[in-house]
Amino acid sequence: MPQFFLNKRLILLLVSIIFLVALIGFSLKERTELTWPEQFIKDTTGFVQLIFHKPAQLVAGFFENIQDIKNTYKENKLLKERLDEYVTLEAQLQTLKKENAELRAILKKKESLRDFVPIQATVIGRNPDRWQEIIIVNKGEQNGVKKDMAVITPEGLVGKVQHASQFTSTVQLLSALDQKNRISAYVQGKENVFGLIEGYDEKRKALLLKEIPFDAKIEKKQLVVTSGLGGIFPKGLPIGEVMEVVPDQYGLTKMVYVKPAANLYDIDDVIIVKRKIGETLQEKEEAK
Amino acid sequence: MKKLFLPFLATVFFMSESIFIDLWPKDELYQQYVFVPRFLLIFLIFLTVYVTQTHGMVYGLIFGMLYDIVYTEVLGIYMFSFTLIAYMMAKAMKIFHNHLFITCFLSMMAVSVLEFYVYGIQLLIGKTNMSFHDFYSHRLLPTLVLNVIFIILCSYPLKQWLVKIGRREREE
Repeated sequence: MPQFFLNKRLILLLVSIIFLVALIGFSLKERTELTWPEQFIKDTTGFVQLIFHKPAQLVAGFFENIQDIKNTYKENKLLKERLDEYVTLEAQLQTLKKENAELRAILKKKESLRDFVPIQATVIGRNPDRWQEIIIVNKGEQNGVKKDMAVITPEGLVGKVQHASQFTSTVQLLSALDQKNRISAYVQGKENVFGLIEGYDEKRKALLLKEIPFDAKIEKKQLVVTSGLGGIFPKGLPIGEVMEVVPDQYGLTKMVYVKPAANLYDIDDVIIVKRKIGETLQEKEEAK
Repeated sequence: MKKLFLPFLATVFFMSESIFIDLWPKDELYQQYVFVPRFLLIFLIFLTVYVTQTHGMVYGLIFGMLYDIVYTEVLGIYMFSFTLIAYMMAKAMKIFHNHLFITCFLSMMAVSVLEFYVYGIQLLIGKTNMSFHDFYSHRLLPTLVLNVIFIILCSYPLKQWLVKIGRREREE
């Protein structure tokens, strides 16, 4: 036994294993904020990443452009057909918007769950070991990003901010959502059906919308959007469309497979969404 | 200036993994299979073999820590394994004949050991529920294929570089 303890390397190994377990335990703890050394390292590497990333992306973008030019003719034809439709929709939207604003003025209700401030951000890195799908973007707390904010692309919701450091932040994509992270959402229809997005089905490439009442009427192709009831996300961000409705494992509620509207893999630029309504409340509280 | 070359090279390898994944076209292949670039690990192994063991271990510790903080947000996993693999590699090279082919072969072993180790930890902390079969066919094999291609392309120039740096270090 004494010989065992004299072996320096073995002791070093054991100590480092203990250290490893402690570190893993520390980082798995529910953390609202990263420690400052982590933030500092993240910001520094984020800066270096930005330097490396820009030229690489330019080169890749050039090849992509060549690909795009090949398809231009086909796409142009299709888009022209759509254009007329778009003009009428646009006109309708404008009148509806105006009407909405007037009605709100009558009700003296200025704020809406839908209002948000967009923060544009560029992806500067990606987790190379893809156990968790995480992307790193170039906006941080200094730009107003906070933990748990929604992250969207023009097509729809892609994820939420996992951690924000001063100048960069990490975004957890929807495809990596674990059971603890839920998003309050509803299915748009004659009657809105509310549920929670919980988890992602890797094989079917679909999000799972759970906790839906058994008698709810849901059809394929209906839109699923955020409800804004969760506290941080604004209302009305598109998530996807209904793929299939199945009873869940106990048969008491229904579960809906939702096909994400945005491409969860191909992401270059994102918009971080800062809700307006909660923020003003918070500021008032802080002022007190 | 020459002193800065080694840290710079390590940084390039560190960044290259993220850039590689980001620029890879996100096609069916990407969505179906998970191929992880382990360029940094291969670099660390070559560093251990052709410069010194201490270099390999120190760089393993520092860049492992960076990897943990920047990419995975679970501290300790890569910091521990990169250092340990560098140490094991130095011990292994005392047994084997020092030849480029052996180094390449051992690098592939190290890549698969690392994959198994990270898979084990992810299972342990409950961040994944991937079955072993899925892990083997959708993760381990594509990863090995990618890294073999990388080694075939880069091992020779990398060796020449590091041998030169190693000679200079020993002279000082």
